[in-house]
Amino acid sequence: MARGGGNRSRLLLVILLVTALFFITLDLRGVSLTKGSRSVTQTILSPVQRTVSTIFSPVGRFFGDVKNFGKTNAELKQELAANKLLKSELAANADTKGELAQLKAVLDLAGRGNYKVVAARVIARGSAASFSQTITIDAGSASGIRSDMTVISQNGLIGVVKSTTSSTAIVLLLSDPSFKVGVRIARSQSVGVLSGLGSNEYSLVLLDPAGTIKTGDILITNGSVGNKPFVPGVPVGAVVGVDNSSASLTQTATVNSYANLNDLGVVSVVLSAPATAPSRPLLPTPNPTVTVYVTAPPVPVLSPSPLPSPSVSPTKKK
Amino acid sequence: MSPVRIIYTLSFFFVLFVVQESAVSLIHFPISGFSLYLALAISLIAFEDHNGALVTGFLAGLVLDLSPSSNAPFGQWALILTSVAFLFAVNRDSIADVTASPITFVIVVAGGVTLALLSYLGFGALLGEQNGSFGHDATVLGGNLLWTVIFTPMFLPTLGRLHEYTLTARER
Repeated sequence: MARGGGNRSRLLLVILLVTALFFITLDLRGVSLTKGSRSVTQTILSPVQRTVSTIFSPVGRFFGDVKNFGKTNAELKQELAANKLLKSELAANADTKGELAQLKAVLDLAGRGNYKVVAARVIARGSAASFSQTITIDAGSASGIRSDMTVISQNGLIGVVKSTTSSTAIVLLLSDPSFKVGVRIARSQSVGVLSGLGSNEYSLVLLDPAGTIKTGDILITNGSVGNKPFVPGVPVGAVVGVDNSSASLTQTATVNSYANLNDLGVVSVVLSAPATAPSRPLLPTPNPTVTVYVTAPPVPVLSPSPLPSPSVSPTKKK
Repeated sequence: MSPVRIIYTLSFFFVLFVVQESAVSLIHFPISGFSLYLALAISLIAFEDHNGALVTGFLAGLVLDLSPSSNAPFGQWALILTSVAFLFAVNRDSIADVTASPITFVIVVAGGVTLALLSYLGFGALLGEQNGSFGHDATVLGGNLLWTVIFTPMFLPTLGRLHEYTLTARER
């Protein structure tokens, strides 16, 4: 320090650190100046990001394509074999079609076609500035997108809108460590909380102590009040491993999401859920029961001097 | 650091920030990602003298704080990069001139990037931010370290020339 200029350098260091702390304090106290600066940056960045995305996206996928090059052929063979198996199962289970239709009516799982959505292209991904996992899409408030709206891909939930400008929006991905979504298990209707872990795996904590999780259980969004941030019924993922530790009060599980967050090209933002969609978790409808009240038979009243019946008039003696 | 160089540095960091957010972020690196911005910022800090390093670190952090997708409070990166710059400035004389040897320079830059990211994690944890599992964070840190070691030699000569170009006669 002494070599670096003594008191003047020390003063400079203190001034810079205090300024940084001043900004942090302002931000944590919710001063709009600091939040506004990020919004302005996003507005400036979005046209550049859109242009660069168009030119740069083939290059961006280069590493991923190289990595998956050898895997694709093997996967294709595997998928063809699985397809044959599924076809034979489909023929054998033709009689279950009726049940399937009923199930569809009851669960109304995704209701994909019924959501009012806005499609958008992914124009940027992630940030140099943080460990948070986000994408930027090329549709914003001008398209009706607002903060806290559900974002889905063709396979299910991928995240929630974090902030918007007129032409872009930043989406917080499902895999972000701060991401939490209320889900329910389609099989048992048990409710839990799914959290991102920063990787391709997710953690599910069941809220019901008596509930059970099984490998392969399908998870769908539980829905939020007013459909913000989550609309109900969107497929989230499937359970791949259950933690049967006796130390915890509730069951936990590892989940894989249906949506591949590493290969997002086009996504949809759900503007509104259909009126028929359930705003609360689908609970099993109880069967109507017949209630029978058993009452005691009327007890005859024994009176020493019964009152004369009004219909029978006493005969007059002549 | 002269006001003209402050404007140059700020402009340079802003252009770099746009490149990072628009282009580099789109590349799916096999192991985590690469922060070109941090690598170049730390390199510039290493090139500077004591006061220059502090101001460069602060400016680099301030521009990085503008990132719209960041969860951290505005000013966190400014604080961290100023602190890292201070460490560089204090220790640069004791470890000789890092710019003299390219290998030493790359190691110092990669170490600086890792230190900055670690400080970000640590400070974020103090503020209650959720930064993911240990494995995920370790992958991000390791990935950044690896890509910084690989890519820094590519831009080092150009950056050195650019830095020389922006120096005033007095600073030379």
